[in-house]
Amino acid sequence: MPSPTPLPLGEFEQLVLLAILQLGPDAYGVGIGRKLEEETGRGVSRGALYTTLDRLEDKGLVRWKLVAGSAERGRLPRRIYSVSATGLTALRAAQQAFRRLARGLDHILRDPSVK
Amino acid sequence: MSRAPFTPPAIARRLLVLALPTGARGDTIAGDLDEEFRHRAAGSRLGASLWYWRAACGVSLRMSADRWRRRHTGPPPPPRASLMDTLLQDIRQGAYTLARARRFTTASLATLAIGIGAATAIFSVVNAMVLRPLPYPNADRLMWAAETLPTGGVMTLSWPNYQDWHARLTSFEAFGASRRVTYTLTDAGDAMRLEGRQVTWDFLPVLGITPAMGRPFQKDDDRPSPVHPVLLSDSFWSTTLGRDPNIVGRKLTIDGQPHEVVGVLPPGFRYVLDYAVYEPVGVVGSGDGFPDRGNHVGLLAVGRLKPGVTEAAARQEVQALAVALSREYPNSNSGQGAHLETLASRFVGDLQPRLIALFVAVGLLLLIACVNVANLLIAHGATRRHEMAVRSALGGGRLRLIRQLLVESMLLSTAGGVLGVAVGAALLQALLAVAPATLARIEEVRLDSVTLLFALGVTVLSGLVFGTLPAVIASNAGSSQMLVRAGRGGVAGSHRLRRGLVMVEVALAVVVLCGSGLMIRTMLRLTNADPGFTVGNLITAKYAIRGGDKWTDASIRTFHDDVITRARTLPGVTDVALTTSLPIEGSNWGSVFVVGDQPVPPRADIPSAAFNPVSPRFFSTLGLKLKEGRVFTDADRENAPTVAVVSERFAKRFWPNESAIGKRLKQGWPEWTTPWREIVGVVNDVKLNGVENDAPLLVYLPLAQQLSPSVILIARTDGRTAGTGQAIRQLVTGLNSTVPVYDIRTMDEVFGVRVAQQRLTMIVFAVFGSVALVLAAVGLYGVVSHGVADRTREIGVRVALGATPRQVLRLFLSQGAITTTLGIVVGAGAAIGLTRFLKDLLFETTPNDPLTIAAVVVSLFAVSIVACYLPALRAARVDPTSALRGE
Repeated sequence: MPSPTPLPLGEFEQLVLLAILQLGPDAYGVGIGRKLEEETGRGVSRGALYTTLDRLEDKGLVRWKLVAGSAERGRLPRRIYSVSATGLTALRAAQQAFRRLARGLDHILRDPSVK
Repeated sequence: MSRAPFTPPAIARRLLVLALPTGARGDTIAGDLDEEFRHRAAGSRLGASLWYWRAACGVSLRMSADRWRRRHTGPPPPPRASLMDTLLQDIRQGAYTLARARRFTTASLATLAIGIGAATAIFSVVNAMVLRPLPYPNADRLMWAAETLPTGGVMTLSWPNYQDWHARLTSFEAFGASRRVTYTLTDAGDAMRLEGRQVTWDFLPVLGITPAMGRPFQKDDDRPSPVHPVLLSDSFWSTTLGRDPNIVGRKLTIDGQPHEVVGVLPPGFRYVLDYAVYEPVGVVGSGDGFPDRGNHVGLLAVGRLKPGVTEAAARQEVQALAVALSREYPNSNSGQGAHLETLASRFVGDLQPRLIALFVAVGLLLLIACVNVANLLIAHGATRRHEMAVRSALGGGRLRLIRQLLVESMLLSTAGGVLGVAVGAALLQALLAVAPATLARIEEVRLDSVTLLFALGVTVLSGLVFGTLPAVIASNAGSSQMLVRAGRGGVAGSHRLRRGLVMVEVALAVVVLCGSGLMIRTMLRLTNADPGFTVGNLITAKYAIRGGDKWTDASIRTFHDDVITRARTLPGVTDVALTTSLPIEGSNWGSVFVVGDQPVPPRADIPSAAFNPVSPRFFSTLGLKLKEGRVFTDADRENAPTVAVVSERFAKRFWPNESAIGKRLKQGWPEWTTPWREIVGVVNDVKLNGVENDAPLLVYLPLAQQLSPSVILIARTDGRTAGTGQAIRQLVTGLNSTVPVYDIRTMDEVFGVRVAQQRLTMIVFAVFGSVALVLAAVGLYGVVSHGVADRTREIGVRVALGATPRQVLRLFLSQGAITTTLGIVVGAGAAIGLTRFLKDLLFETTPNDPLTIAAVVVSLFAVSIVACYLPALRAARVDPTSALRGE
């Protein structure tokens, strides 16, 4: 089997990538963690978050640049993340698989509480 | 915000920084967590802190693990069989092996349970009485002090001397004194006798004790007053006064005088005994001869050392002060010194050498048990030679084999330890049941966590002691030729070793048995010692007349006379007397005296004797023998000429070559105005202070001429002693209900109390001795019978070649005898060296008592011959054809 360009992504990796895209220029550790907690409604382990970010970086799916920190964090620098082109490709592939599989299941998948 | 910004938990943050990579990567993460912490802290600080801890720990762990994984690219190494896994495997395997070898396991467990159990029981006693500090705060700094006689004996303090000590000693941060007294309580129905202590107001604070209820004594309490303040013990308050919640302030009538309860002491507090009542000693005022420096009024001092002051320094100071006082007051103090020791050692007193002897004996017993189990293990190992050879051939390393065997011994010792603690608890119960309740600190004896820790230590240690050697030997089987040889024949080396072990066992048994023998002999001597009077069929009862001014000398005399007259008519009573001291129990009155026809010696050399006022029929009631002159009669009344009867030893000491009759003596110092007394009779010596001490110089005075309100009634009966004690009680309280009767005992019981320690030591030693004997015999039996089993083929060959059963029997018997003899020789040598440490515990028995050693040697030899005979007989009956066919 010829190896497909997009690497397979785990669920948490997809969530992290989506959060980075949502946050844009504010995508650094604190923001990503909080966004994930807001949207998923569960606590996010900071350990898991940072190791996932490292792993995504290793795979070339995210990039980051260093920005000076505010007084609020003792002037420690921030890493602002962005999704790389490879990252976008991988995310698209994963999302397409999702959408294909979810096709025609709206009546089941729609949250009944949202009328 | 006006206040300083709230910062993340410092420890958590430091942990995080350590785990994070250095440089910007790490900084950004630390910064993120700081920032988020501040956000959260605006809500709940506690919540924020908890969150930070969780996040910091999570990040640290995940990042470290991740980094480790990156560094070791490639798959993680396959999990090796961990130490824990193989250990568990060993334990399972060991348990299985032990469960299969049921007889071996039972024998080992029984041996270990006895050894560990005995050690645990004795240790809990030693721990409670010697090792554990007294139950007072910082008890290690508490000292006990008293004066000493010119002859060196300990003597109580006089009141003026105590006050000088209190004022002049600088080694102590607190110093007080107390004396034992008895009281009569007359509020609660029949008169009740109470044990109490008169204490200086600062005595209880020295011990660090404050009342649980009410107030402590104050300086002002320590002086004469119409209403005496008292502190009560918790148990007296609970049992007699029904835990009256309004006890503080309540008035009690004690000795006919009003006493006011000012407080209740904490539960469990004891000073030597559980005294019911404490009263300031100052209420005595100028009574009881308190102002007299030469009158030693029963006070004993306790002091709390200042921090940094040593016991030796304090002793030096007290002794120097005593010397100074003897110069300042030569009339009363010349030749007197001071004695100081720790309060803890004073409490346990002469029990300590006894306990140490028992502890050593139990250690030897435990060692015998270990040697025995080692022996069993080696024998067991021999039967497993094949298993070991196979295991080693299949690649079991030698260390692994040793470990497997050690795990087995540990399993064995652990099970033995658990059983041992149970045995120890039972032994302790038995021991406490036969122990006299008057033993100091006996109430503190129990199986506590320290004892359990000790048992655990002993268990582990014994497992190593008996397990190591057999494990090394058995693992030797791991050589390939053993697989070939394993099927047949014995291993001479291991057999020789087992013989050596049995020899050690016999030697240890000799030592323990010699100790037991000496104790038994001491006990025999004590019970057979002649006390100087006829012990059987005597009932004793004490009564004390108290109650202030209501009694006069005349009414006390009449009361005593009435008691004697009526007691004589009780059924079964043949003779009745009153005395102030009981033989064996001890003298209640020691005093200096001067003799009429001899020059008065220098003050320090003035002799002292026990003085005992008695009623006329005392001598006939006890069965004393009159040596010369006459005993007292009813005519020796208060207004008759003053007379005395002395003991034989007294007469011989002062008039070795002439009769003592007609000589004169005077109780007290030369300048005292006490009356001169004419010696009218000499009677035989009586053991006054225990059986083990020689009869003292003894002077009897007529009770009518030397009146005492507290006396002991002695009644000789015709054997019907059962109801007599109760009848005496009814008789006395019938005459006057405020006079309490107490300590109703037969003379045999008085004896029993005095020899209780010796009896207890003897019982424990005797039990240890028997166990040692049995263990040694079992060890010997095991070795010989195993030797027989191992050499069946050899025996078969011998018999086939013409050896008679007699010769075979002799072969094995002589081998057993050689082992035993060697053990006995070594053991006897050790015993001769060791038993001298028992010297202080013996009575009329020398530590190397030849009879004892001979008895031990003979009995051990006899037992071991029996132990060898049984398996040797089996050897003699070996059938050569079946033995050889076994090949």
